[in-house]
Amino acid sequence: MKTNDKNIMITDIQRFCMHDGPGIRTTVFFKGCPLNCAWCHNPETKNPNAEIMFLAGKCISCGACVSVCPVGAQSLLPNRVFDRKTCIGCGKCVSCCFTGALTISGKNVSAENIIASVKKDLEFYGEEGGLTVSGGEPTFQKEGLLYLLDAAKSENISTCIETCGAFPADLAEKLVNNVDYFLFDIKDTNKQRLKQYTGAALQDILLNLFNIDSMNGKIILRCIIIPNINMNQEHINNLLNIFSKLNNAEYIELLPYHPYGNSKSEQLGRKDTTVFQRPTENEILEFAKALQKSGCIVKCHGSIIK
Amino acid sequence: MKFNTASKIERPIRLCQSTRQFAYDSLMHVYGLDTAKTESVLMDDIVGFEQMSDLEKYDAIIRKIAQTAPIRICDGEMISGAATLGMAIYHKVPAVYKGNCIFESVSHLTVDFETVLRRGINGIRDDVYKSLSRHSETRKVEFLHSCLATIDSFSLWHKRYILSLEKDSKYEKNLQNLLQVPFSPARNFYEAVQSIWFTFAFLRLCGNWPGIGRIDWLLGDYLKKDLADKTLTLDKAREILAHFFIKGCEWIKGGNYESGDAQHYQNIVLSGTDQSGNDITNEVTYLVLDIIEELGISDFPTTIRLSKNTPEKLLRRASEVLRFGGGILAFYNEDLILKSLTEYGYPPQDVWKFANDGCWEVQIPGKTFFRYIPFDCLQILQQKTLDNYSGTAHFENFEELYNKFSQDLTEKVINIYHNISNELFFTDDSKAILQHKPMTPCTAVSIFEEGCIEKGVSYLEGGPVYNIISPHIGGLPDTVNSLYAIKKFVFNEKKQTLSEFLKMLKNNWDGYEIYRRYILNNYSYYGNDNDECDNIAVRILADFAKACRLLDGRCDYAFPAGVSTFGRQLEWMPSRLASAHGHKKGEILAPNYSPTPGSDCNGATAIIRSYCKGDLSKMVTGAALDVKLLLSSVEGDDGLNAIMGLLRGFVALGVYFIQPDIQDKEILKEAQLHPENYQTLSVRVSGWNARFVTLCKEWQDMIINENK
Repeated sequence: MKTNDKNIMITDIQRFCMHDGPGIRTTVFFKGCPLNCAWCHNPETKNPNAEIMFLAGKCISCGACVSVCPVGAQSLLPNRVFDRKTCIGCGKCVSCCFTGALTISGKNVSAENIIASVKKDLEFYGEEGGLTVSGGEPTFQKEGLLYLLDAAKSENISTCIETCGAFPADLAEKLVNNVDYFLFDIKDTNKQRLKQYTGAALQDILLNLFNIDSMNGKIILRCIIIPNINMNQEHINNLLNIFSKLNNAEYIELLPYHPYGNSKSEQLGRKDTTVFQRPTENEILEFAKALQKSGCIVKCHGSIIK
Repeated sequence: MKFNTASKIERPIRLCQSTRQFAYDSLMHVYGLDTAKTESVLMDDIVGFEQMSDLEKYDAIIRKIAQTAPIRICDGEMISGAATLGMAIYHKVPAVYKGNCIFESVSHLTVDFETVLRRGINGIRDDVYKSLSRHSETRKVEFLHSCLATIDSFSLWHKRYILSLEKDSKYEKNLQNLLQVPFSPARNFYEAVQSIWFTFAFLRLCGNWPGIGRIDWLLGDYLKKDLADKTLTLDKAREILAHFFIKGCEWIKGGNYESGDAQHYQNIVLSGTDQSGNDITNEVTYLVLDIIEELGISDFPTTIRLSKNTPEKLLRRASEVLRFGGGILAFYNEDLILKSLTEYGYPPQDVWKFANDGCWEVQIPGKTFFRYIPFDCLQILQQKTLDNYSGTAHFENFEELYNKFSQDLTEKVINIYHNISNELFFTDDSKAILQHKPMTPCTAVSIFEEGCIEKGVSYLEGGPVYNIISPHIGGLPDTVNSLYAIKKFVFNEKKQTLSEFLKMLKNNWDGYEIYRRYILNNYSYYGNDNDECDNIAVRILADFAKACRLLDGRCDYAFPAGVSTFGRQLEWMPSRLASAHGHKKGEILAPNYSPTPGSDCNGATAIIRSYCKGDLSKMVTGAALDVKLLLSSVEGDDGLNAIMGLLRGFVALGVYFIQPDIQDKEILKEAQLHPENYQTLSVRVSGWNARFVTLCKEWQDMIINENK
């Protein structure tokens, strides 16, 4: 590792991603997020530190973890229990688990190694594809992020960032220099509701958005849609209002809510998961059409709505 | 009328209603079932049949087929000719004597349609006469007379169609075309399509299963001229060509078969270069894609020759068609294959012509005898190198183990070589080859294979210009993974000694579930772009190619290597033991040169990179990679761009042959439960497609489980 290289806490490097920006991309999931969305799709990336995940269905109660745990957090009798309060996160149980029931979410990887992984698929990127940083919230690890983006650019690799927009205002300028596309989340446009479900302040997010736009950063707005939360006319009007004021936003991409994050929450021992209603195919298309008719350019299921 | 697709997108409609109806009827077995009424011709009434030589019997059979096989003219068909005898569907010459089938037929070849188009059957007949004047050896003269007899029979059958078509003015155009072709050269696109079809139909009527080859190269110039002369429109040309595809479904009978009902090696090859290296992509290329896209006909599996120079438009059209699923399109990497064939010794005037044998094994069409000999290298590792896990195998380190395996593999290749030599040739005491043994008569295909007429020797006796016997290594990914698991578990991590480990395998993992899970879950196997594992594959491929090469050149038959299973992972399953990479006896393992089902965790690009690490150019007859893409992942314009990126990447990385399929596991399960709603849903098997509902349950399950 070079002396000036930076370590980044990530959960995964996923290759052959087709819906994380233009072309084929390799997506790196950063750990840590300033928001706390009730519908989080990637709950394992919320916590900035490594966490142990336990998938009970894979456990065959062999007891290997019990014998290596230094603090007795793993027990077999009378019931198979993983006591997270006692756990110190040392990961010894993970490395001896035979079945993959215990895994660790979060590893420190140097930016250089991330770039090496990203370069494995250079032949597939063509002119469009490349690296997407996601998470979590990539800006949560500001220094590592900037270093990684700079390294990617110096290798001529296209860069996208998926961001919730909640980051210090002075970061925008630094990002614009090394980011080809901002996949910018607008989770809700109702101030109170956004605060209630995610903890975020709408005005800070919009400030960053318009700031990036004013510096000619290319933007794709990404909007989660959840029935009875934000699939309403008010949200459509607000999105149009935002979209029409942006000079560099190409389109709004709709991300229908799905409950797949919940099983990961369970593996993390979190019991506070809320289940929302999943939009039906018809509801998704209706909303997409309505938004498009209002005057926005809308992408849904991978295509621009015509 | 529903032409099933895995996609949510509706198939486009360009063809007229009557053509679509014709397609639907054919897919719904109307014509295939018709063949059950006349399975074969009877030879019992031929005087002295039993006393005839094999060649005389063959000539008599072909004559009787030509004289008596039912003539079928489908309502509104634009091209005529039909292979109406049911026994041909089972790879036999459809003739019976005293209740028994007499001759097997020929497949795995693509015949010389070019000569048929440019010179006609009459031209071929002239060649036979010329050859007769040069040869005096009895066997050769007899063979050449059989060629004339076969051409006469072909002519008889041709005349019967002329007489039938004359009866209905609706078929005036068919009649006019058949008055010209295939006996005289084709003069325009419509005649050319009819010429290829009629010749193809005759060969199939006699039981053979030839491939089609480079249809756009064969037909492109005819269409170009007709369009320029304004004697034909593109829409009309599409209708004509569609009838060719639809008639190619005339053997579909429905019901369940082991490997489906569409496996008759009718492959088509599109695009690629001409002799000067120019891309030949033309309007016919795009018409074929239009037809596949609209009708989803999978009976002509179609492989596109891609290169760095493939036009963007073709890449996009191919990706669009691919997205409807069905696995109908596959791809060759032309750059690699041209290099492979050239290095192997094919001359430059032939290399660029490459197509396949009607499945996916590469060959020069119209001048190649081809046969492949499959073997399972996983069984070599398990039964020979590791001695059935009996406990006698002892190796100090991984290198020792690998070297013994490599030696066993080489021995197997030598064995195959000697067995095939004994089967084909008379040899002297020192095993030197004396002469070819007499084989089953096969004159019908021989007259369409360059070399046979000139030499006076049949297709199966060394007549063609190139004669290829290709050993095909199967079970390669599982062998790689087994060796890798042993390397990691026994030699690197020293979790168990080799003898303890073999004991677990001998017990089929019973009582050692935690170790089995550990081995399954903790190692990154072939298909995950892990160099340490993939390098074992690189070594095996190199050693296998070398073993073949050392035996090459000892006779007129070439002995190039290839990689395949063609679904044999199912057939081999009962003979395989528990595998070292954590699979119990009875599990169905990897297809072709693709990852073990369930072991690939890093996506399609990682699979392709693992696959490309070995020197695939040494696998001269091919090495297939199956890639299953989830429908949801290729959704929309983004998905389309991703497929194009994938195709570009595979050319850049040096893939040999890729057969991608886009499937939806849920749809396949639904089709298993309600076959009546999915009669036309096609899936890729290997080198051929099958209507999913016509596969037997075991094959259906195998396909479902290959999807993540």
